[in-house]
Amino acid sequence: MKKQDIIKSFKDSLLTGLIALALFGPIVGLRTASKGEGLFITPQWGIVFLLVGLCILGRFLININSARRTEFKIFSTLSSKFSSITEDKAKHFAITGILFAVVFPFLPFTDRYFMDVAIMILTYIMLGWGLNIVVGLAGLLDLGYVAFYAVGAYSYALIATTFGWSFWICLPLAGLFAAFFGILLGFPVLRLRGDYLAIVTLGFGEIIRIILINWYEVTNGPDGITGIPRPSFFGLPFKRSPDEGEMSFHTFFGLEYSTMHRIIFLYYLILVLALITNYFTLKIRKLPVGRAWEALREDEIACKSLGVNPTNTKLTAFAIGAMFGGFAGSFFATRQAFISPESFTFIESAIIVAIVVLGGMGSQTGVVLASIFLIGITEIFRDLEQYRMIAFGGAMVLIMVFKPKGILANRKPTILMHGDKK
Amino acid sequence: MSNLLSVEKLTMKFGGLVAIDDLSFDAKNNQITSIIGPNGAGKTTVFNCLTGFYKPTTGQMYLHQADNKVSLRKYTDFKIAHVAKVARTFQNIRLFPAMSVLENLLVAQHNELMIASGYSFYGLLNLRSYRDKEQLAVNKAKYWLDIIGLTHRADDNAGDLPYGDQRKLEIVRAMCIEPKLLCLDEPAAGLNPKESAELNNLLKFIKTEKKTGILLIEHDMSVVMGISDHVVVLNYGKKIFEGTAEQTKKSKEVIEAYLGVDE
Repeated sequence: MKKQDIIKSFKDSLLTGLIALALFGPIVGLRTASKGEGLFITPQWGIVFLLVGLCILGRFLININSARRTEFKIFSTLSSKFSSITEDKAKHFAITGILFAVVFPFLPFTDRYFMDVAIMILTYIMLGWGLNIVVGLAGLLDLGYVAFYAVGAYSYALIATTFGWSFWICLPLAGLFAAFFGILLGFPVLRLRGDYLAIVTLGFGEIIRIILINWYEVTNGPDGITGIPRPSFFGLPFKRSPDEGEMSFHTFFGLEYSTMHRIIFLYYLILVLALITNYFTLKIRKLPVGRAWEALREDEIACKSLGVNPTNTKLTAFAIGAMFGGFAGSFFATRQAFISPESFTFIESAIIVAIVVLGGMGSQTGVVLASIFLIGITEIFRDLEQYRMIAFGGAMVLIMVFKPKGILANRKPTILMHGDKK
Repeated sequence: MSNLLSVEKLTMKFGGLVAIDDLSFDAKNNQITSIIGPNGAGKTTVFNCLTGFYKPTTGQMYLHQADNKVSLRKYTDFKIAHVAKVARTFQNIRLFPAMSVLENLLVAQHNELMIASGYSFYGLLNLRSYRDKEQLAVNKAKYWLDIIGLTHRADDNAGDLPYGDQRKLEIVRAMCIEPKLLCLDEPAAGLNPKESAELNNLLKFIKTEKKTGILLIEHDMSVVMGISDHVVVLNYGKKIFEGTAEQTKKSKEVIEAYLGVDE
C-alpha cells in the first residue's frame, strides 16, 4: 500500500470523527440531570471521546481495507458458499425447514417462550409472503401493508364477537374484506409508481389506523376489542372447565390439561396458513397472471404494447396480497383475543417491507431467512430492553453491507424450455 | 392490393407545438411501409398515435378488416394490441430484462393464456386443458425462437442477450400477439451490417409468410431501401413525399430535407 493512501484514509477518518463529534456531542455529551430545584446539564465528555475514537478507528480500518481491494474475506466466502448451498439444495432445504417446523413443538428444549417467538416469526413469514406478491412480484412498493393486517384482524374480531361465528367461517370473510380494501387502495394508485406509490400507500396505512381510533361506535376506538373468541380444535375448546354440554380438547383426548395445547394448536394453525400462502404464491407465479405481475414490474409500457391490461393485473396483485394480510390479521386477533389500533402502527409495515427487501425481492426462502434473522435477533437481545432496536438496525445494516440485493436474490424462470440443466 | 391502414388528416399538437400536421397516408396489406425523415420530424409521434399511447388532436386512423374498417381512435392503451391487433416495438428496447426469453414470449400471449387458465382458477387446479394450452404457447414461442436462432438461449434472461438479439427478440415478441399490423420503431438502430441483413430477412419473412403489414421507422437507408415497398417522408410533421424506394431516392424534396437547399 502506498503512503499517500494511508494519509488519505487517515484524513477521511478524521472527517468522519468530526461528523461523529457533531452528532454525539449534543446527544450523548450533554446529559440533563434533575438535582433539587431544576434541571442541570452534566457533561459526559469521556463517553463522547470514546465513541468518536471508535468511529475514527473503524472508518480508518474500512478505508485501509478497501484501498487494499480485499474485502472481509470470511464474510464474502461464507455468504457465497451459503448462496450456492441454498441454490443447489433449494428443495432439500425447504423440506428440512418444513419438517423442522412440524416437529419443533415437541423438541426437548421447546418451552412456552420459544413457541411464542416461533408463532411470531411465522406470522411475519406469512405477512412477508403475502407482501412478496405485491412488492416482490408486481414491483409495487407498498408501505401500508399493515392496513390489510388491521382490516383482517378487525373484521375477524367484529364478526366473531357480534355473530359468534366460528374461526373457520370468519377467516375467509376477513380475507375477503381485506382483499376488498386492497382493491380500494389499488384504484387511486394505479397511475403511481415508485416513490409516489410508496407515499400514498403509507398514507393509506395511517388512514386505516386513524379510522380505527376514531370510529368509536364500531371499533371501540383506542380501547380496542376484547373477548375475541379463541379458536377451537374442530369444535373442541381449549378450556380447563368447559361450559355445560361441551367437551374440551383435553378431556376428549384424555390428556392432562395444559395451556400448551392451545399454543401448539395456534402454532400449527399459523404454520398451515403460512404454507398455504407460500404454496399459492409459488403456483400463481407460474400462471399467466403471475408472469404478467413480473412483466409489469419490469416494464409497464411494454406490457401495454403487448395487450396486457395493467389495471386488472395491478388490482389482482393488491387484492391477493391484501387477502393474505387479512388472513394473518384474523390469526393475530384470535391469538391475542384482544386487538387495538396500537398493534397496527407504521413500524409493523416497515418491518414487513424490510423482511421482503432484505430477504431478496421475490424470494420465498429469503423471506423465511430474513424473518428468522430480524425477529430472532430482536428476541435474543430482549434483555437489552430499549437497546433492542439497535440490534434490529444492526442486523439490517449487516445484510445491506454483505448482501445488498437481499439474502437470496436469484430468480428462477417460471417455465423452462430445456428443463433443468444438471 | 388492398389497404390495411388509412391515416386521414392526422394532427397532433402538444400545446403550441404541432408535431404532426394534417398527415394522410395508406399502408397496404403484405407490404412494408417505411416512414422516414430527419430527427424530430414526428415519426415516433405517428407511432404513438397509432398504438394508443397518444390521443391525436384531430384526424382519423382506420384499420381495414375483412369487410369493415375499425377506427383506432376507439381503442386506447393496451386494447390497441389486445383488440385491434396492432403491435409495436420501441426505439429503446423494452424487453422484460430480468425474465427469461421464453417468459418474454409467453407474456405476449397473456390474454389467450389468461382465458385458458380460467382467470387462474383452472391453472391453480392444474387442469389438463390449461397445461395443453400452455404447451401450445411454448411451441409458438419455440417456433419464433427457431426463426431468429435463439432457441438455445430460451431459458436465459432477456437482459443478458447481446444487443442485436434483443432487437430481434422484441420483434418476435410483438409477433406472438399475432398482429395484423406490426409497427417497428428503428429496429436497425445500433446493429452492425450483418445484423441489419438478418433483420431484413426476418422482416421479409414476416411480410411474405405471415401476411402481416409492417410499418417501419428507420434511419438506416440500407434497410429502408432494401425492403420497403412504399416510403412516406416526413419533415416537421408534414408529409413531403410518398412513393416507392426508387422514386424517393431521386426526389428533390427528400434530398433537400436531408441535405439542405443549395443557396
